[in-house]
Amino acid sequence: MAGSVLLTACANSGGSSSSSSGASTGVSGDTVTLGAAVSLTGALAREGILTREGYDLCTDVVNAKGLQIGGKKVKLAITYQDDKSAPDTAGQLIDQFNDKGNKLILGPYGSATTEAAAAVVERNGQVMVDSSGADDKIFTKGYKRTFAVLSPASKYLSAIVTAVNDLATPKPKTVAILSADDGFSKTAADGAKTEAGKVGWNVVATNYFPSRATDVSSSLTQIRGLKPDLVLGSVHLEEGIAIIRQSRELGVTPMAFGETVAPPTPDFASTLGPQAEGVLGSSQWTKEGKGKDEWFGTAADYNASFQQKFGREPEYHAAEATAACFAFVEAMTKANSADPNKVLDAVAALDTDSFFGQIKFNQTGLNIYKPMAVIQIQQGQQVAVWPKTDKTSAMRWPVATS
Amino acid sequence: MTPFLQATVYGLLQGGLLALVAVGFSLVWGVMNVVNLAHGALAITGAYFSWQLHESLGLDPVLSLVVVLPVMFMVGYVIQRGLINLVVNAPIWMTLLLTFGLEALIVNGLLLAFTGDFRSTRTGYSTNTLALGGVRIPYARLIAFGLSLLLTVALVLFIRNTKMGLAIRATGMDRTAARLMGMNVRHVYAVTFGTATALAAAAGSMIGLVGTFTPVVAGGYTLQSFVIAVLGGLGNMWGALAGGLVLGLATAWGALYLSGTLVNAIAFGILVLVLIVRPSGLLGKPYYEARAEA
Amino acid sequence: MAATSARPGMPESESESAHPELGAPTTGPPKAAPAGRTTASQLAGWALVLGLLVICLLAPKLFIPSFLRTLSAVFMFATLAQAWNIIGGFTGYPSFGNVVFFGLGGYTIAVLMARSHWSFWPALVVAVVLGAAYAMLIGIPTLRLKGHYFAIATLGVAEGTREIVLNVPKVTGGGAGITVPAVGPSATTSYPGNTGFLYYFLALLVVAMLAVYAIARSRFGFALRAINQDEDAAAAAGINTTRMKIAAFMVSGAITAAAGSIYAFQQVSIYPDRLFSVDITVLMVIMAVIGGSGTVIGPLVGGVGLQFLSEYLRQNFTDYHTFIFGAIIIVAVVLLPEGAVRFASETVRQRRLPIMDNLRRYRL
Repeated sequence: MAGSVLLTACANSGGSSSSSSGASTGVSGDTVTLGAAVSLTGALAREGILTREGYDLCTDVVNAKGLQIGGKKVKLAITYQDDKSAPDTAGQLIDQFNDKGNKLILGPYGSATTEAAAAVVERNGQVMVDSSGADDKIFTKGYKRTFAVLSPASKYLSAIVTAVNDLATPKPKTVAILSADDGFSKTAADGAKTEAGKVGWNVVATNYFPSRATDVSSSLTQIRGLKPDLVLGSVHLEEGIAIIRQSRELGVTPMAFGETVAPPTPDFASTLGPQAEGVLGSSQWTKEGKGKDEWFGTAADYNASFQQKFGREPEYHAAEATAACFAFVEAMTKANSADPNKVLDAVAALDTDSFFGQIKFNQTGLNIYKPMAVIQIQQGQQVAVWPKTDKTSAMRWPVATS
Repeated sequence: MTPFLQATVYGLLQGGLLALVAVGFSLVWGVMNVVNLAHGALAITGAYFSWQLHESLGLDPVLSLVVVLPVMFMVGYVIQRGLINLVVNAPIWMTLLLTFGLEALIVNGLLLAFTGDFRSTRTGYSTNTLALGGVRIPYARLIAFGLSLLLTVALVLFIRNTKMGLAIRATGMDRTAARLMGMNVRHVYAVTFGTATALAAAAGSMIGLVGTFTPVVAGGYTLQSFVIAVLGGLGNMWGALAGGLVLGLATAWGALYLSGTLVNAIAFGILVLVLIVRPSGLLGKPYYEARAEA
Repeated sequence: MAATSARPGMPESESESAHPELGAPTTGPPKAAPAGRTTASQLAGWALVLGLLVICLLAPKLFIPSFLRTLSAVFMFATLAQAWNIIGGFTGYPSFGNVVFFGLGGYTIAVLMARSHWSFWPALVVAVVLGAAYAMLIGIPTLRLKGHYFAIATLGVAEGTREIVLNVPKVTGGGAGITVPAVGPSATTSYPGNTGFLYYFLALLVVAMLAVYAIARSRFGFALRAINQDEDAAAAAGINTTRMKIAAFMVSGAITAAAGSIYAFQQVSIYPDRLFSVDITVLMVIMAVIGGSGTVIGPLVGGVGLQFLSEYLRQNFTDYHTFIFGAIIIVAVVLLPEGAVRFASETVRQRRLPIMDNLRRYRL
């Protein structure tokens, strides 16, 4: 038996895009195992660990409530492997999962690793729900087996433009965009540039610096003389912190700062302290979001269960990870099976409400309902200010800079 | 004109801090012919140490050096005595590999102990700046810069004017002769490495004061130390300071007038250029060239 | 100077023993290496190589598919270690920037296939030629440097080249990476799949092994070893050291570029951060040195052994694997500074485990 499976698998390893004859149900005994390649070491270790926490919470909650598949109660488990923040390792891990019969894959952290994983998933006939690989590039390749619960990179920074244009009086007239030079950040910066043009702002500068830089003083020195009304950063955490901190040092004083990725993470406010006040950030999820589901309840409920498990509030990396896992749970329940092809169809047909908002995927695998939210740091806490349907607080504008 | 002055001031301040990171690296390389790939990791260890003292005891990062310096000196002493001394005579890449292993160990250890979260040692003065016309000088960076100068001068005085300093220099020039003169070379090497580790840790404390850190940034500081040590000439303390300032200025100006994404290209361009045109560094002859090793 | 920089601090008690034949111990009595033993150990080595080859050719039938990919990585790193061995091990110039050829090869493939719609094989030829040419270009100024200076200069070249690749996004895609057209109508060469790449990497490894074997037995190889021992003496003996060093660097660069090319095609999407990662250089050096640098089979042993080890650790110690790997490297460096191959041949020769010998030899 094992031998014949092996032979079949070998015959199929020729690398054609044919999906393997997945007789496997993915259920061994009474456990359904999802594979997750996350970055536990290397440059993305921090976000990788946050992603794993989101996945862990998912298994906890689902197993506590009990998952029913095919009329029997099954346990949900996730096996983790460290992709060392390297795309090639991520791809290799997906192959290894495939051999162990893990056909259902939870996405790694980051666009490069996700892209590498998506190619392999497609080849092996696995199914992946992506929790954080946001670069739009991933969704232009015609992959049929990768689904993303999150908004793509192009929306990350443009959401702030839209939000500010909606909420601010007086409206800013000029904007400077500072961006890291990796693919994800550049895509986000381009999205904001387009959006700023649409709402009639003048983009006075677009400045790039090396990804993961901790010193952005030169870029700030360049834009200081231009006196932009709004400074937007298309960044990760370290560049995001550096922009705020060094702007203060260098006397760059726009009406407000807006940044991707950095502001919603807890280290942002804790590292910057009072300097973080008033910074706008885009977030995939806020605890004020609408929507609920039978597993995690509302966004507020999710917030509470995360806090109970980890002793602090979740940020969006964890929430999107849990949402990816939720998509699988929901699809398996609907399909009443863990067979990869049935789950694939069920994921593709998914149209459900959740603590993460409504989830429904389009042809390319993107979640069509997913809006970005915009948050602002107020009194050291992040509060949702946009979209208006979710908001709990008014946006402070212009932000007083002392 | 103001952008130029601002970039210059900022570049100098940053360069001074980088010089402090690199000076110990240069010392170890010059005296022992060991390229310490774990140098950045030791600096970041110092950053965590100082950060932890600030978090739990509220100790100011500058004040915390009173604890950080001696403790990290001991750590460095033990690493050299217990580990690096075992392979000092092996071909050069062996020490590279050994310290690479050490780096992996320390960075992964820090990651397990402190998670990958970004940290910063936030003090009362870390947000304040001194405005001179259009040029702004952040106090925290000024303090870090001053400390760098102070520690570099102290190191030079130590090497020049103390008996141990003399022993370090002598050992660096000719180990066999030093041994014949009755010096305990194992001890001298360990003191050298301990000193370098303590200085790296001090630099780490200052990195925490002026910016953010996480275990995985360690490698970047090691690379910058490479550039600075080569620029200044190996084992040349003043050279390390000059190298740091040159690197700080070059990257600040380059980012201002060329492109922000070019800063690393500029740094490595300078490195290769200096090596090819003037391998002994900006400030004359390094130790290494003069050493007679047996 | 050459000798001291290549092997600084050989204890005075030790004569600068030559490596008269492959696999001969560096140290110990250097009197005429017993030819019989060397041949025997060589035979054993090649039997091992042959065995591996047979196993690998059968691999697709014997092992589970993901193992193919692991094995491809093993072959690739063994190849890279072997390529490093030519310049680092034989010639004694510890290149710390060999990854630059890997990245260059990968980007040549990606750019030619994605932008100019070339197919893989002609692009591979260009990549290999470029690798050799770039080695010559950077070798001419940097190979004048010795020891650590050479190591740092090559490191600087590698890092600098990565930055250049990052800064011409119109050609290379910059930080966003570049994607080789591998499927669909835009694909110029059909994607060989895991099995195909396994054979590509295996073929390249065989080429690298044969190249090094040939070099080791040729006048060229003796010239390189002479440079390693004492460059001034080698020059005095009439060896054109500059030309030899550059030639060695070019062979190393060409093989490394070929590995990078296959890797880029296998990965489909490549990014400068990964293709020029200093970690890859470090792995080349570690594998070559722990296996036995300057020997023919050492890099193979080191590459295969360490790649499997790191893979095993990663799979079984998800959170702690780099911690353990770091510790193992430290122990290996302290106990096996001459490499596993020389350690093994010493063990056979002396009929005891000479674990403490190296420690005694290299400690202060």
